[in-house]
Amino acid sequence: MKNSKLLVFLLIMFAIMTPLFGSGQSDAEDGKVVLKMGDNLPDRTNTWGLVAEEINAAFIEAHPNVEFEVESYQDQPYQEKIKIYATAGQLPDIMKYWSFSTLLHPLVESNMVAPLDPADFEGLGWMPGALESNMVDGKLYGIPVSGDLWVMYYNKAILDECGVGVPTTMAELKAASAKISEMGYIPMVTDGKDGWPLSITFDNIFWRVTGDYSIMLDALAGKRSFTDPEFKKAAQAYQDFFKNDGNFGNDLVTTDYGAARNLFGQQQAAMYLMGSWELGLATDSNFPEEFRSNVRAAKFPVMESGKGVADDLVAWFGGNYIIKADSEHKDLAYEYLKTYAELYPKLVWEKQAGFPAQAVAASDSDTPVAKDLLGIGADATATSGTTGLDLKTPAFKEVHMKLCKDLAAGVISVDEFCESLQEAAEIANK
Amino acid sequence: MNSVLNSKKTIFLLVFPGLAIMVFAILAPILLSLYYSLTSWSGFGAKEFIGLANYKEIITKDATFWRSLWNALLLLGVTVFIQNVLAFILASVLIQLTDRLSLILRTIYFVPAILTVVVITKLWVNIMNPNFGLLNKLLKSAGLEDLAYAWLSDPKTALGAVIFITVWHGFGWALLFYYSGLTTVPKELEEAAVVDGAGPVTRYLKVVIPYMMPVIQAVIIIDITACLKQMEIVMLTTAGGPGNTTQFVAYHLYEQAFKFSRYGYGNAISILFVIIALTITLLARKYLSGDNGNE
Repeated sequence: MKNSKLLVFLLIMFAIMTPLFGSGQSDAEDGKVVLKMGDNLPDRTNTWGLVAEEINAAFIEAHPNVEFEVESYQDQPYQEKIKIYATAGQLPDIMKYWSFSTLLHPLVESNMVAPLDPADFEGLGWMPGALESNMVDGKLYGIPVSGDLWVMYYNKAILDECGVGVPTTMAELKAASAKISEMGYIPMVTDGKDGWPLSITFDNIFWRVTGDYSIMLDALAGKRSFTDPEFKKAAQAYQDFFKNDGNFGNDLVTTDYGAARNLFGQQQAAMYLMGSWELGLATDSNFPEEFRSNVRAAKFPVMESGKGVADDLVAWFGGNYIIKADSEHKDLAYEYLKTYAELYPKLVWEKQAGFPAQAVAASDSDTPVAKDLLGIGADATATSGTTGLDLKTPAFKEVHMKLCKDLAAGVISVDEFCESLQEAAEIANK
Repeated sequence: MNSVLNSKKTIFLLVFPGLAIMVFAILAPILLSLYYSLTSWSGFGAKEFIGLANYKEIITKDATFWRSLWNALLLLGVTVFIQNVLAFILASVLIQLTDRLSLILRTIYFVPAILTVVVITKLWVNIMNPNFGLLNKLLKSAGLEDLAYAWLSDPKTALGAVIFITVWHGFGWALLFYYSGLTTVPKELEEAAVVDGAGPVTRYLKVVIPYMMPVIQAVIIIDITACLKQMEIVMLTTAGGPGNTTQFVAYHLYEQAFKFSRYGYGNAISILFVIIALTITLLARKYLSGDNGNE
């Protein structure tokens, strides 16, 4: 009797404790299938987030028994959240992610991502190399969603008001920044808090200085050293660009993605260093019409003393959609990816909300910034592919970003930067 | 009643829920963390047992860890010796005021404590913004342009700015504890001291503060854990930068585990963190309770 009471008590305790420590996938009580989804598109009423919602609605129309449970954050917190979910074995069924060796590859190596059949995604107008960027050991693991170009957005009205043209060289940029500052605007903004835009810009400046991006790839592969003179020259040019030339505010390293975007969109800043995925700035109703009609994009400036040219374009295929390997609803998730790949390029281009990794039909009704980006892409004589920070290990990426932040903030010297980057590369290559 | 409480089964039934929660929610994670700290592991995939290598690296090579520990101790020092002293003095003033005025002021002082960390941090990030922030605009309008810094981005001011936000956020709690404690000090004791000729300072030093020692001890213990595990404000303001100027232990741990994908290393930091927090807490308890070990 005593034992049975104790057993009942323990069972009750277990029932109480289980929800505290348990987790797990649960479908809706009305019998609907819940597809858990994660992405970096927290604004579901504008641009890319709105496109995602429309695709979800189209999928639900075709599969009325499906419900989506979407979790969205800005991209760096989102990437960290996915790592935490991976550690806890709680990845969503469908995820927006990135094809890089620092992000997709660790999940693939841990068998957490479902392989896809390339035949299921044929004939959808992929740009050359787009699908291949999502292959690991010959298997396709994600569908690419954007072709990413590293560009300089500008507000034409502010530049006109300040009496400056679109800067095409670093000297022009420095002179323009001085005038823009005098007029009370911030010359240029970017997401300096997260670091990755700074790392990408380091690669861009390196290319402008040397005219040969393969040197960077050689250093990453351990065939050259980051302490070589060309890297020191690039590091100095980088520090000038971010710190010494007055192009950015002195809060660069505490300005996050949202703050930088808002400063530009609310017409406090004249220029915005970011990727082509911000094409939707011209259609984002959060910003005033005056801004939307004046936003444009230009090529990253060249260095007067550099060997690089304006049409050497830092560009890559980054964002993708992947499926959790052990999803309870893998077939539905797979169907969703096919729907996404079919609908996304048309919808995103209609809304001028993003720059897809698939062919789009340009038209006269495209926004000026969309036309600029198409022009920049078409003019490119060489592209970088995935940039240096994402070509090695997650730890290398973090060190790369941190060093770029520290150099931009002026808390380390050019020599310290180069030596530390070399040390990080050597560790990553072990 | 006594027979029920004397029953071993009853005692077990009463103790078991708390014990179970402690085992599952505290002890088991610490033991798991101890195990992971002995591995090289990214958080998923294969683990490699590497013994004490993570600890050796932290202690001998990780300058950021020591910097972050120093920053946490600095925050603790400011909290204990500045925030607490100010909160105690203010509580002593508030208790002398009329109930109505005291209530209004206490409410105002407590507002920061009830706001979420995200809200207060964003508030201060905006106030301290060098381009459009209120602080620099006030300084400039007062002709103090030389003092207008990029508060959170400048290595000279970033740590001070982060500590200020943290202390500002926690001030209301310290005030609340001290005010509540002061209301329990028996008037007779103070009156007796006055009769014996004690002035206000002597009365506080000899009567009020000794009476308040359990409250002071509790506040300081809470401060120790809060300062050592400080993370949210750092993450939302400076992310540990510029350089490692504003790095704190908990954020360093988080970065190593979830940004650098060094989950084993992050767990090793967490184990050292637990040991350091326990040591400081025990020392504080021993010192503040006047326990010299001869009991």
